[in-house]
Amino acid sequence: MIRVEGLSVNYGAVRALRDVSFDAPSGQITAVLGANGAGKTTLLRTISGLVSPQSGAIFLDDFSLLGVATEKIARRGVGHVPEGRGVIQELTVEQNLRLGALASKVNLAEGLEQQYARFPILGDRRKRYCSTLSGGERQMLAMARALIANPEVLLLDEPSLGLAPQVTSQLMRTIRQLCDSQNLTVILVEQNAKSALRIAHQALVLHLGSVAAIGDAASVAADEDLKRYYLGVVVT
Amino acid sequence: MDWLRSLTRQETTHSRFVGMLFLTVLTLVITIFLPPVADSELAGGAAIAIVVLGLSWLTGWSGQISLGNSGFMAVGAYAAGIWAHHHASTPLVFTLFLALVVGGISGLIIAVPSTRLRGPYLAGMTLAFSAAVTPIAQNFTSMTGGEGGLFFNSLATPKWFLHFFSGPYAAINASAQWSADLAVVVAGVMFFFMANLFHSRTGRAMRLVRDNDVAAELMGVNLARARTSAFVVSAAFAGLGGALYSLLQASVRPETFPIGLSITLLTLMVLGGIGTLSGAVIGGIIYAFSENLVAHVNSLTGVNPVSNVGANMQGMIFSVLLILTMLFAPRGIVSLKYPLQRLFRARPLSRGAKEVH
Amino acid sequence: MHNIFAGLSQGIIYSLVALSLVIIWQSTHVLNFAQGAMAMIATYIGMTEIDRGVGYWWCVIISVMVGMALGGVTERVLIRPLYGKPEINPIVVMVGFLGFLEALAAAIWTSTTRNIAEPFSQIYFKSNGHLVFLSSFVIFQIVLAIVIMLSVAALFRFTKLGLQLRASALAPEVSRLLGVRVSRMLTIGWILSAGVGAIAAVIIASGNFGLFPTNMDGIFVASFIAAAVGGLESPLGAVAGGLIIGLGEQFILAYWSPDVAPLGGIIILVIALMIRPQGLFTKTTIRRV
Repeated sequence: MIRVEGLSVNYGAVRALRDVSFDAPSGQITAVLGANGAGKTTLLRTISGLVSPQSGAIFLDDFSLLGVATEKIARRGVGHVPEGRGVIQELTVEQNLRLGALASKVNLAEGLEQQYARFPILGDRRKRYCSTLSGGERQMLAMARALIANPEVLLLDEPSLGLAPQVTSQLMRTIRQLCDSQNLTVILVEQNAKSALRIAHQALVLHLGSVAAIGDAASVAADEDLKRYYLGVVVT
Repeated sequence: MDWLRSLTRQETTHSRFVGMLFLTVLTLVITIFLPPVADSELAGGAAIAIVVLGLSWLTGWSGQISLGNSGFMAVGAYAAGIWAHHHASTPLVFTLFLALVVGGISGLIIAVPSTRLRGPYLAGMTLAFSAAVTPIAQNFTSMTGGEGGLFFNSLATPKWFLHFFSGPYAAINASAQWSADLAVVVAGVMFFFMANLFHSRTGRAMRLVRDNDVAAELMGVNLARARTSAFVVSAAFAGLGGALYSLLQASVRPETFPIGLSITLLTLMVLGGIGTLSGAVIGGIIYAFSENLVAHVNSLTGVNPVSNVGANMQGMIFSVLLILTMLFAPRGIVSLKYPLQRLFRARPLSRGAKEVH
Repeated sequence: MHNIFAGLSQGIIYSLVALSLVIIWQSTHVLNFAQGAMAMIATYIGMTEIDRGVGYWWCVIISVMVGMALGGVTERVLIRPLYGKPEINPIVVMVGFLGFLEALAAAIWTSTTRNIAEPFSQIYFKSNGHLVFLSSFVIFQIVLAIVIMLSVAALFRFTKLGLQLRASALAPEVSRLLGVRVSRMLTIGWILSAGVGAIAAVIIASGNFGLFPTNMDGIFVASFIAAAVGGLESPLGAVAGGLIIGLGEQFILAYWSPDVAPLGGIIILVIALMIRPQGLFTKTTIRRV
């Protein structure tokens, strides 16, 4: 599981995160909601070590992630699918997957088979260059690439971005299945709050870098007041 | 005192003119008090300063790097030299103007294929140009006088000037003084033009291109044209500077403009501060007295100036300076004053006050 | 006819150096202007061991090792501090480094040309009584260059290291998120590239050209143009570019005039630009606004 305590992150004079604390338990999906600029992506990037916090602590089980290099954090089992997916266009599907497997002790052949079984479309396209993939296919690849390393934790940054509603539903269902079957710790950052709340166990709402609310997904979804933080509208 | 302040800010052509005039006259006065050797070095430095100025325009204001300026210097120098060789009585102004134009044209020729090239590609292209210049000069013997080069004498001291000098070394002193004065005046004129260019619409467009070319394009700046014109200007300045340089030496030879000179120019520009007028002046001054500098270093370290190490000391010092400057003070010596200021700044008056830089 | 061999043998040297430039460009987006000079220094250090009685082949190995070490150190000390700064900064630093290395070499070893005892005969073969620009040495040159290039290609294509190197160059942040030690890859890229460059310099020094501080200047320029013509993004293009330049030079020499030869590289570059006016980038780059 992931534990965040009192995390504060500044970009120069701008406070991106203020005193954020929460626990993301194993086997559960923690949705992170909020408007643009609320600090959601910063949170994930800080957990992955791409950004250094001003203060606070981050723990992966008992292990402190502060000051640890990003690649080391990844090797410890923290998979991160960044904003925009980060699929490397100049490489093929299979090469992207191979890359994902590199950092772990996973058997490459087995890992590939597993992911192709889970995402058959990728199997069909394995030799294709990623620039030829559709948005949905790229999302699948990005997830498969993160999963092939058998991570303990999965950080997902706006996976539904740019995807058609049907594809989004399918994607969300897949995430929930994976979480359940592999006992993953999933932290899901999403603009599409409705879809996220449907599959999440707990939800964290960020507003201007601070925690506006935290609770189980059902309660957060039902709370009309909270909607203004992540929908940007005051619901009357 | 407002008028004085507006002078230094140089916002109008009038103020720029006055400013340049003042500085030029000041420098001229200084040359009177310098020994002839220093005068000659200063003259060379002035010529180099013109070239650095052009390079600064290109690099600082349009963000491109060019290693071609030793090549353009050669083009200008040879143009002037070949002309002066055959038409010794042409007024200096014409010869220099010719060099400027020829330099500009050659810049245009190189620029046209280069405009679409970015960073490293452009640098490499210009390097290729400079590298080719020396062998070409050596090959086309009939025009360029080949290895031996050309000789001419356009900077003969006029008689009326000689009257100011007396004594056994009158002629030499007069000649050195005259060369220095000429060089300084030419430099003053060129700096004046550059200052105007900087503050003009072209200059502003140039800076926009440097900082954000996408935005510039959206605002209607023709990128290719802006880059080409920057290149042409810098080549023209280099041509004139090269011609002046050669005229001061009364000769031009293929070895006068090796690639190493392009590197030196780059170093001088970086040391002085990219994209500033004062930076070019500093660069010229450093060049003028670099020989003395190197001799000092040699004597300090006990190196024999004629040995291998000694002969290459200048090259080594300059290149190390370039590397260090680029790593630690890429905005030139002038920018070093900021961290220094911070060291000596008084403690804030109240505790908890945040220093904003 | 004999010109073709001269063109190919020279061209393949350009290909080697061009390849080393492409490796560095792909991994760190720096054009290493000091590439030739670094290789030259490595050659000096290695080859002067011959004076002490060390065998030729050991000297080659020493040169390559020194070259690789120099490449790694350069990346750490000179290039690393400049990540994130404007693109021209490392270019300028490398230009300074170039000047420094050449001055240093002249200071230590003087500017006189040294001729290394050649491992293979440089005497040209004769065919039907005509001189063919082919000698044992030239054959060695071509074979070695091809072997090196194929090895590098295999490294990038088939090995885990190669995949990591490519990924680090293409998408450094994403690669880090996948556990790739990107900064180590960048250093390895420089080490690899310097090794390739050193081999090219060793060949040059052992040939007719000889060893002197500025011997790699012309070659660097031609190789850079080769890489530019072939596309800095494409190793294969760099290799092809090298051969094109080599052959092109011979062409100009034979059919035009030797006087114009120094401009040969530029002429070819300009022609290439006219054929592909979009500016020599082999793939369209997406500008992120």
